[in-house]
Amino acid sequence: MTDEPIWRRDFPLTSAGEDETTRREFVRYLVVGSGGFAAGSVGIALWSSLRSINAGEPRRIVDLDRVPEGTSHLFRYPTDADPAILVHLPGGELRAFSQKCTHLGCVVYHEPDTTELHCPCHEGLFDARDGAVESGPPQRPLGRIDVEVRNGAVWAIENLGEQEAEQ
Amino acid sequence: MTAPLPTPRGRRRERDVPVAVGVFVAVLLALQMFLLTVGLDAFLADDDALAWTTAGFSVLLAAGSIGFYRYLR
Repeated sequence: MTDEPIWRRDFPLTSAGEDETTRREFVRYLVVGSGGFAAGSVGIALWSSLRSINAGEPRRIVDLDRVPEGTSHLFRYPTDADPAILVHLPGGELRAFSQKCTHLGCVVYHEPDTTELHCPCHEGLFDARDGAVESGPPQRPLGRIDVEVRNGAVWAIENLGEQEAEQ
Repeated sequence: MTAPLPTPRGRRRERDVPVAVGVFVAVLLALQMFLLTVGLDAFLADDDALAWTTAGFSVLLAAGSIGFYRYLR
């Protein structure tokens, strides 16, 4: 037998004092959640800082004659999870960039017969000659990929990242 | 000797303070949720500086929440 009165079992109503305890517990849960959010934010920042740029290995992309001047070719470099774009500029120069917009990570596309790369998500525009931002919300240039022509084929040599593009 | 019974005003204050603190902490938590989304955006855009800034503010808000909770105890 417990000391609890029978009415208490039949009518399990809470008193004002118990309500206050519940409120304090609720605030405690909120504070624990707050600590969780803070830890999550720090974890994201740490992860963002510690991940390194994968320079990649030299790899053949496409035959040069399949990418006429003024057009582009999509490929993946340095891994299959990294979309990239090769642009054959009017005038004959070849440039390759990460296709990931530096604003929010949407993929950028080449405007045919121009020297511009366009991000359709928020109307960001990049210069296809050096990856620099021309207009729109992006603040940083596109990540650059070093390319060269070997025996009539375009090869990706190294992923240079954003730092190299800024130079 | 028994402790004096709390006045109605005192009882109301005892009840209202935890609610007010809970509202403050809930507001801070909402701000932290916003900061977490900003941090994720920064992560996706490889913007380390922004990710650390949001993390700093989030830790500051968490410290504020703990401060409010300590006030309750």
